[in-house]
Amino acid sequence: MFKLLKNLIKEPMFVIGSVLFLTTILAGLIGPYLYAAVPDGGPYERPGSMYWLGTDNLGQDYVALLLRGLQNSLYVGFMAGVIATTIGTLVGLFAGFKGGIIDDILNMFTNLFIVIPSFVVLVLVSASWSGGRSLTLIAVLIGLTTWPWTARSVRAQAASLRGRDHISLARINGASNLQIIFKHILPYLASYVFMVFIMQVASGILSESAISMIGLGPIGDSPSLGVILNTAKNQSAITYGYWWGIFPAAIVITVIVFALYLLNNSMEGVFNPRLRK
Amino acid sequence: MNLAKQVACGVFALSLGFLMSCEEKKDGESKASGKASGYSRSETLYLSGSQWGDPNTFNPLVEPWLVAWPANDRFNIMYEPLTAYNSLTGATEPVLGTLVSYDTDKVVVDIQPEAKWSDGVPVTATDVKFIYELGKRFPQAPTNYVGEFVSEITVENVDGKERITFVVNKKVRNNPLAILDQLQAIRIVPAHVFEKLLAENNNDYDAVKKIQCDKDPVVSGPYTLSHYNNERIVLVRRDDYWGNKVLHDGALPAPKYIIHPIYKNNDHFAMNLQKGALDASMNFIPRINEKKKDGVNTWYDAPPYFVPGSMHFLYLNNTKAPLNDKNFRRAMAAAIDYAAISRLALSSYTLEMKPGLIMADGLEKKFYNAEEVGKHSVPLGDAEYAKKLLETSGYKAIFEGTNLKHSIGPKGDTLPTLFIKAPAGWSDWEAIVNLVVKQLRAVGIDVREGFVDGSQYWPSVGTGEFDILMRKPSVAVTASLPWNRFNAVMSSRNWVPVGNGYMNENEGRYNNPKASGYNGKVDALLNKIPLITDEGELKTAYTELNNIFLDDQPVIPVAHLPEEYYQFSTKAWTGWPTEKNPFAPPQLPWVGSGINTLWRLTPVK
Repeated sequence: MFKLLKNLIKEPMFVIGSVLFLTTILAGLIGPYLYAAVPDGGPYERPGSMYWLGTDNLGQDYVALLLRGLQNSLYVGFMAGVIATTIGTLVGLFAGFKGGIIDDILNMFTNLFIVIPSFVVLVLVSASWSGGRSLTLIAVLIGLTTWPWTARSVRAQAASLRGRDHISLARINGASNLQIIFKHILPYLASYVFMVFIMQVASGILSESAISMIGLGPIGDSPSLGVILNTAKNQSAITYGYWWGIFPAAIVITVIVFALYLLNNSMEGVFNPRLRK
Repeated sequence: MNLAKQVACGVFALSLGFLMSCEEKKDGESKASGKASGYSRSETLYLSGSQWGDPNTFNPLVEPWLVAWPANDRFNIMYEPLTAYNSLTGATEPVLGTLVSYDTDKVVVDIQPEAKWSDGVPVTATDVKFIYELGKRFPQAPTNYVGEFVSEITVENVDGKERITFVVNKKVRNNPLAILDQLQAIRIVPAHVFEKLLAENNNDYDAVKKIQCDKDPVVSGPYTLSHYNNERIVLVRRDDYWGNKVLHDGALPAPKYIIHPIYKNNDHFAMNLQKGALDASMNFIPRINEKKKDGVNTWYDAPPYFVPGSMHFLYLNNTKAPLNDKNFRRAMAAAIDYAAISRLALSSYTLEMKPGLIMADGLEKKFYNAEEVGKHSVPLGDAEYAKKLLETSGYKAIFEGTNLKHSIGPKGDTLPTLFIKAPAGWSDWEAIVNLVVKQLRAVGIDVREGFVDGSQYWPSVGTGEFDILMRKPSVAVTASLPWNRFNAVMSSRNWVPVGNGYMNENEGRYNNPKASGYNGKVDALLNKIPLITDEGELKTAYTELNNIFLDDQPVIPVAHLPEEYYQFSTKAWTGWPTEKNPFAPPQLPWVGSGINTLWRLTPVK
């Protein structure tokens, strides 16, 4: 483990990705509590000494909005990532390990979800949800629609492990299926699953931004980054020259996703023996 | 030169050619648009804001919401009404007819003897009777409601003029005010053309509705349809328009062509106005004061920039707890910061909010009783008052820090979160709702934004399936204001329970006539006001009705906004009416007496 970490730290991509990601995490977690929002001003006030990043159409301080938006977007990303990775990993593990009819059924189920465009499902469910869309609801919806690719990848990995000697040995020793899956297969795939999780978090943040951009995002006391972008879009911020309504939120989303991509890429370079230098 | 370079050069040349072929001409028309090119800017007026989707039909016998501009709605540039209402002066101005008299029993109009259709046939009372009585023959006709108001139409000849008397239907609606509104709302169509079409189609109305009426339509107005596509509708001036001589001292309208570009979103309006490619538009453009440097102007130079004419409301579902408690509704009205809504959501396009359903300015001012309003209204924008009223009414709010967790009702039950339904993407309404949610939650009222697709929003309006609804009732600026506003939000005439039918007024289901607490005075006053002709008596009746409204607060007015308005550019045309030069009301030149603007515009040399 220590050796792996040592190898990772040697990767410049990992260092840059970690710094960027930790910065955004810290900003999202503690930023809203440390930064005292400036009282509301006029609509779309320009960035200046009072409002560092200007104000939105309702006169709210953009720095405060961005910090809370970052927190909310990270929450959605992580929650969606956990749900998608958990479902995808479980389905993939069982399908890959069991094979036969169970594999066929789970595979069919997975393929079914893959061919249904997940974003369309997300849009339809969000649009028809009449009881108010919370951050958690959006995260759950994203998680429930993005797991199939994880399942497919994990299944392939699990199937390749199924015939290994240590699995046969465990079976001879009377280990149950669950014991074999969780004790003898999952640990082999942990690094892979972790990398998948990272990309699921990034995908969750992007999906939330996309769904919010079209006005179907979460509703609550504080906005997500996607909701900030949606408001700016609806107010024609770019047309009227209010660049601060769009760019800061867009840059923050880009930085988070880029950081996660760097982390994933650098980890693959270390964890994957074929890519290891 | 290798293959890649050759391909790259080819692609570049092709792209350049394509771009050049689509290059914008100075007059704002694209060469690629075919027939529409070649309009001289000094002869062409570009106006927009009345047609958003692709034009389908120009048949005036089709339901108005399916018909393309300008053959639909209140537009009087092709098909004209009998009279036009001047929203500045309150006068009923002549068009195809002249209002002779109006009382509680009848409305009398003289037809202009010189009025002619574009095929030379005179406009007569037969044409008026055709469209007014079409509902009797075909229930699906757009004027099928007229029979409720008009029991009989009689015609006599007085001094060589046809005099039409609309007899008030005393047994059904007994409302001469509505008949007065209809003089402006109903477009007269050529009976000789449509009777012939009906006869050719064996009186099959639905078959006639399928005719698009887009080839040489027979019209009476100053312009007629030239051609159209999905990007624009082009009208051409009729130099032989009968009204030039009768109504405008022989002058022609200044623009030879009127083009209505069809834009898909608000951004295009603002950009084209700033460029001078659009001369005027009626649509919400935020922060209009920032566009003044680009030559975009408004009626007033300073806030509110436009003349207020309509109220935007929060419709409350009066049948659902806790909205069925008038103290709760009154607390809501008190908690909202109307000044913040005006400043932040509506770019200050609204005057200071006054309580009630009567506007304290303009033509309605004479009915506004400030003293009575003070006695019956809650103080607006007073969060502390709202909190106190909620507390004394038994409501309790549970906060987590500064965030509202939930509210508890007088019986100790947790109250449901109430959603404010509004169409997603309507930026001004979304901003209003965002602010209202913030302000109401701050006093402990658990509300949330409910932005939904139009397909969910519109059907729920009439069925009443909402908690709170952001809405502007379709109340035109007409002679019957403010009666029609009261009627739109308080009438129990067609009361049906939520989800059991469609209501066209009082969608919040206030004052159930079958409930024990029914206040019969409301409907009695709504029935009585249209029959009152004495101004003092009228003020007393309006005051009484307004007091009931303020006591019960069935809906919450959130802003007084312009109803008919426009912003205009002076880059190509000057002479627009403004506060300083109010020769016509602030309406696009195809609504009401705003049409007079067309004779006063001057092209910029």
